[in-house]
Amino acid sequence: MIQARSVLQELKKQHISHIIGLPDNSSAGFFQLASRDEDVKSIFVTREGEAFAIAAGLWLGGKRPVILIQNTGLLESGDGLRGTALRMRVPLVCLITYRGYHKRGHDRVTPPFEARVLDRADLDSAALVTEPTLQAWGVPYYLLHDEGGLAVIPEAFSRAGRCSQPVAVLITDSLG
Amino acid sequence: MLTKEQLLEPLARLRGNAAIVTTMGVARPWGKYSSSELDFASADSAMGHAADLALGIALAQPWRKVICLNGDGSMLMTLGTLATIIGSGAANLILFVVQNGTYEITGNQPVPAAGKLDFCQLALGAGFSRVYGFEAAAEFEKTLPELLSGDGPVFAAVLIEPGSEGPISRSEREESFYLKESLAEWAHRMRRALAADDCRGSTR
Repeated sequence: MIQARSVLQELKKQHISHIIGLPDNSSAGFFQLASRDEDVKSIFVTREGEAFAIAAGLWLGGKRPVILIQNTGLLESGDGLRGTALRMRVPLVCLITYRGYHKRGHDRVTPPFEARVLDRADLDSAALVTEPTLQAWGVPYYLLHDEGGLAVIPEAFSRAGRCSQPVAVLITDSLG
Repeated sequence: MLTKEQLLEPLARLRGNAAIVTTMGVARPWGKYSSSELDFASADSAMGHAADLALGIALAQPWRKVICLNGDGSMLMTLGTLATIIGSGAANLILFVVQNGTYEITGNQPVPAAGKLDFCQLALGAGFSRVYGFEAAAEFEKTLPELLSGDGPVFAAVLIEPGSEGPISRSEREESFYLKESLAEWAHRMRRALAADDCRGSTR
């Protein structure tokens, strides 16, 4: 488990203004913590695609938002991400909890997949397509496995700013 | 029922230093009335997300009015945004739904439940306390100053005549100032303009 407090501290070192997202089982504890924080505002959306457009608007207005959603929500967000943050070239860090990381079958199946692979009980269909989707959309990403890897967060911010585009951090363990 | 001109001309005259987010059928016509760098066309971008983008600007600059000219088809794509707006506590957002009952850009196919759906009731149900519905130009023009003042969020559904706007191209061929550059170029220009206007402090 990755401490939610450690992640929030790393984000605050980057002077973030808002956390936009929708809690899942892995991030619920983080949102509970963040929503009590006086320095960072939390915005809860009804569907993840909203988050990218809201973040783009916040950035237009001079703020520094981050997004926190599950990988299933990332898949739902396709047009919102493409049409706002990507095309507007918004330097935006997206934290994505990686449902099914240990059931992505990377040692057994490789893209392009046949559709029937997505129905296999030993694999998680969301996990299977998460990284290929980010690659297809041109979104660089880092993997955050444990507290020892928190340095990927400042790296992601640096890259997002340098390249003026969204960068993802895939979180493979629960935030507690 | 209003024409687009009857909707847009008074709004352009009374906007002050509000940021404006347009989409779909009014994105191009708005350019006839405004050449402000505080305008953003959420067109040729993410379908249905104009109100979300406007909400983001509103939350970033709470001292500034932010006006979204959303379409009815676009609003239906992200109805949950009504709840997100209320949950966010944004008091400076004014959300218009420009209601022509059709997907104008693709040739005026009817939106689902056209003529039956009551957007004002949806807004009231989501928790908007200031909700307006307009069917005539005189009523709209008379009420607009009140609508634009005070705390929100404000919701207004405006019945307008169907039009015949085609897709936005974002090129020099477009007459509207804010459609001549790429989405990224305009976004970065608008961000600078919002920051400069913020520094002048004229709106606080």
